[in-house]
Amino acid sequence: MADVLSVGVNLEAFAQAIGAIQALRSSVSRVFDCLKDGMQNKETLEGREKAFIAHFQDHLHSVNRDLNELERLSNLVGKPSENHPLHNSGLLSLDPVQDKTPLYSQLLQAYKWSNKLQYHAGLASGLLNQQSLKRSANQMGVSAKRRPKAQPTTLVLPPQYVDDVISRIDRMFPEMSIHLSRPNGTSAMLLVTLGKVLKVIVVMRSLFIDRTIVKGYNENVYTEDGKLDIWSKSNYQVFQKVTDHATTALLHYQLPQMPDVVVRSFMVSGLSKKFLPLIPPD
Amino acid sequence: MGVTCVSQMPVAEGKSVQQTVELLTRKLELLGAEKQGTFCVDCETYHTAASTMGSQGQAGKLMYVMHNSEYPLSCFALFENGPCLIADANFDVLMVKLKGFFQNAKANKIETRGTRYQYCDFLVKVGTVTMGPSARGISVEVEYGPCVVASDCWNLLLEFLQSFLGSHNPGAPAVFGNRHDGVYGPADTMAQYMELFNKIRKQQQVVD
Repeated sequence: MADVLSVGVNLEAFAQAIGAIQALRSSVSRVFDCLKDGMQNKETLEGREKAFIAHFQDHLHSVNRDLNELERLSNLVGKPSENHPLHNSGLLSLDPVQDKTPLYSQLLQAYKWSNKLQYHAGLASGLLNQQSLKRSANQMGVSAKRRPKAQPTTLVLPPQYVDDVISRIDRMFPEMSIHLSRPNGTSAMLLVTLGKVLKVIVVMRSLFIDRTIVKGYNENVYTEDGKLDIWSKSNYQVFQKVTDHATTALLHYQLPQMPDVVVRSFMVSGLSKKFLPLIPPD
Repeated sequence: MGVTCVSQMPVAEGKSVQQTVELLTRKLELLGAEKQGTFCVDCETYHTAASTMGSQGQAGKLMYVMHNSEYPLSCFALFENGPCLIADANFDVLMVKLKGFFQNAKANKIETRGTRYQYCDFLVKVGTVTMGPSARGISVEVEYGPCVVASDCWNLLLEFLQSFLGSHNPGAPAVFGNRHDGVYGPADTMAQYMELFNKIRKQQQVVD
């Protein structure tokens, strides 16, 4: 009971004190308004001055009155009750971070940045859509119902067929030798050695070429386990660039219906890399 | 190991060995090469001991035992025009045990020390050749990593050398002529160093 009473007194005085603060704020802003408006139009200079001074004095008096009222009320409000200690949450009122954070300017920068990002993304998507990189036989926009139920047959080829195609290509060029292995399931991994210049690791998905990595002739292509290392890049910048070119080539040659033609053209394009050492580095 | 060319840079007119080395390294740094530490190649000479020559009356053969900081665990032993042996680092200890057959000519120990620079796929080493306390010359080694066939990239190497050596024009090393399409190996680099050291030994001492 005593708790409620003590709280009740505080709350009333609290509400009145908040009202007094608002009154004080408005009277202070009236003082500044009066200063800003300056002297009003009257017949004589003296009249103007007197009127201005009278107004100014009125406003200052009202400020004084409000301030005294606020002081009286704040004495009534008193300290917060010892039974309800605020601990750390009482320190929230002291938090100066909000004043120091340049919130508005940061918001503005974030807004401008997101606008620019949206604009650039629109441009990029327009450019990229011009070059379609889809390598499947299905067309875009065909709904799932109309798509033929049968799976595309070029993706499910017997491994023997893939072996035959690769060995045929191997015999085509004397200075290029292809070694096929299947360490991870049914997808073939080719190690193509071109003269004494470079080695290309080609990872395939049935007869489609998935990834290539080009390395120098003297670089190690096997991991410590003895398996073919299909992930690590070459140590030389020249071959890193050639890897980028080879990847472009494999994305460029696309014929979903006749993948063996694709593989053959990719290998032929690789032959020109034999003249690599004559290209000076950038 | 890629194709390597080792050549000797003549000391600039009116300058000491150290100043010429500084000029070269400054040019390399302006080119954009990255300094990557130091290197050292040294060479010791062994004579075939008199006792083994006996009735044959041949002149004693010279054997060179070399080390290269690029291959810290190896030791290279080569004859002038003969084979090159690439052995473990313990080979030096073995030579001590073979004192009866090969005698060390301690006065002929020669070495080159300097800094190692990396520029794209090129590895450049500029070193001062010293014999005992005196500096005798400057060695420049350039290695092009990606290529292992000498005949393919000699032109590229020459172009790169000329870009920072200036007017000095190194000729194609003899080892390039020997193996046209063979794979280049570290033994060929050591053979080039051996030729360079022999040439410098015969030169007159450079005035410091």
